[in-house]
This record gives sequence, C-alpha cells and structure tokens, in this order.
Amino acid sequence: MDTVEDLKSRARLWPRGNTFEDFSIGRAFTHHWGRTLTEADSTLFTTLTLHYNPQYFNAEIAAANGYDRGCPVNPLLVFNTVFGLSVEDLSEGGGPFLGVDKCVYGAPVYPGDTLTAESEVIAARESDKRPDFGIVTWATRGVNQHGQEVIRFRRSNLVRRLKSQGD
Amino acid sequence: MTPDRIDTSALTSSVNYFEDFTEGDVWRHARGKTVTEMDNVLLTNLVLNTAEGHFNEDRMQKAGGGIFSQRVVFGGINLSFVIGLAAQDTGEQVIAELEMDKVRLRHPVFHGDTLYAFTEVVEKTASDRDDAGCVRFRHYGINQDDKLCVEAERVVLMKKRAGWGGAAA
Repeated sequence: MDTVEDLKSRARLWPRGNTFEDFSIGRAFTHHWGRTLTEADSTLFTTLTLHYNPQYFNAEIAAANGYDRGCPVNPLLVFNTVFGLSVEDLSEGGGPFLGVDKCVYGAPVYPGDTLTAESEVIAARESDKRPDFGIVTWATRGVNQHGQEVIRFRRSNLVRRLKSQGD
Repeated sequence: MTPDRIDTSALTSSVNYFEDFTEGDVWRHARGKTVTEMDNVLLTNLVLNTAEGHFNEDRMQKAGGGIFSQRVVFGGINLSFVIGLAAQDTGEQVIAELEMDKVRLRHPVFHGDTLYAFTEVVEKTASDRDDAGCVRFRHYGINQDDKLCVEAERVVLMKKRAGWGGAAA
C-alpha cells in the first residue's frame, strides 16, 4: 500500500466547527486565541479597503482628531477580527453570512491592544428555503486586554444541519 | 478648540463636512474596486476567519451539496470594501465610527467581481459636542452586473466645518 493510501485509510478527521443542532438558545462561547492588532494590520487593512479617512494612516491627523496613542485601529478591522475569531465556533460548519444588526463600537482600539471575542446564541430557526440549513443569530462582543468592550453586534448565518453532513 | 491643535484641514477635501450633507441625497462614489483573490484570501486569513470556503478552492470545487462551487469572498470584506469605496466622500472628516445596522449580504461576491458604492444620507442629528454631528448613511454595494450585493447603515461622528474647516471654510 502506498503512503497516501495508507494515510487515508488510517487517519481520523480531527473535526472543526459546529452544526445547527449545537446552537441552543442561550449557549455561550468564549472564542479561541484572541489577537493583538498591530499598526501594520490596520494600515494594510485601511489602504487595501480604500478606507480614505487619514486618521487611520496619518498619526498627525489622528492626534489632531483627539486620539492620544497614535492612529486608532480601523473599526472595520476591529469588526472583521472579532468576527473572524468567532468563525470556528459559530459559522465554520458551512453556510453564508446573511447580515449584522445593532453593531455598536465601544472603546477605540490602538495598535498593541489585544482583542478577544465571545458570543451567545439568541435565535435559531429552520430555513424554509433550504432544508439542509438553519438560520442562527448570535450576539457577539469584542473586548480589549482591560476588559473594555470595543464592539458588539448581532450576526445571522445560514448554518448546516447535522442531517445534511456527508452530502 | 485647543490652542495646540495643528491645522490638518488642508490635507482633506473641503466639501465633505457635516454641513455639506443633506438628508435624502444619494451619491454615487467615483471609484469601483475589482475584488481579487489577493484581497479576499489576505484579509480573510489576516483576521483569522477559519472558514475555508474563502480560501480552499479544491474543497469548494469538490464539495457536493454546497451552496457555492468556488471560493466566495468573505462578506465582512464585501462590507468593508463598500464602506471603503464610500469613505473618501463620507468618512474623510469622520472622527469616530459609531454604529452599523441592517447590514445585509444580498448576493455573493467572487474573485474578479467589481464592486461599486452608492450612499444615501438618511439622517443628521446633533452629537454631544459642538464641533461635530452624527450622520446616518445607508450604503449600497452593487457588482458589475448591477446585482445588489451589500446594504448597510452606518452612523458616524463627523466634523463640522465651523469647528474644523480652517482656511478652506
């Protein structure tokens, strides 16, 4: 037996992600890792997304605008990072991201700040249009290293149902 | 205004302060952006989004029963591009992003698709400071085939020319 065949016959899948059935209302998740955001992250994100508000890439303008620790991290990067940290627990199981409501930014984030993310299931229902999926809504929060909230939002996704696994 | 505040108004446009926006106005922003594989994979991976539907082409092509048969751009990036495309006009004088609401990803975006942005001025309100006010925008992102891909409301704290416009006022 060649090596690849042997590997595939002996290996067990180390699974990642959850399915619709895992999302009982009220279930809470503390998401993995956290991430320290750097100036490079924010400058790259801001310029690549054409976000031409110079307070995110000109420290003099940031200071004039009242930011006392250099350029603040672009809030859209804060949103995407907190979202990204939540994906394995919430939405990696398959199914598109549908929308976000009631997103509120809290304390500004500066380079060097470390964000962590947590979520709670607030709604879960079956999808009329797609029987293999349900629609789940979570309330997600991002906090900095001092425990201050930097963002909160409600997100909804299509989420694959267990019975569709292996399709 | 604090006396040591430097005059940075010469570095930005003079026509996109709080006073310049009128409720009900709709703007079409000048530039579009073709969303590349580099944009999607780089930003998806940068923010630790682990959903391989955004970065594993082989899996997407081979998976049966999936909704898409190729990598799809992460919706958070679509949203960020639409706000970005609108940002020079609606964000250059922004002191703080305050809120987003009613964000809807209406249509998938794939590598090579081009996004264009439109913005409606929904509401202007006072803030807790004299030199800035709050503006609620509704942003729209459409693709090269006029499909509506992204909708989002966004509330910002925006400079008033009266407090910040410098010599350009």
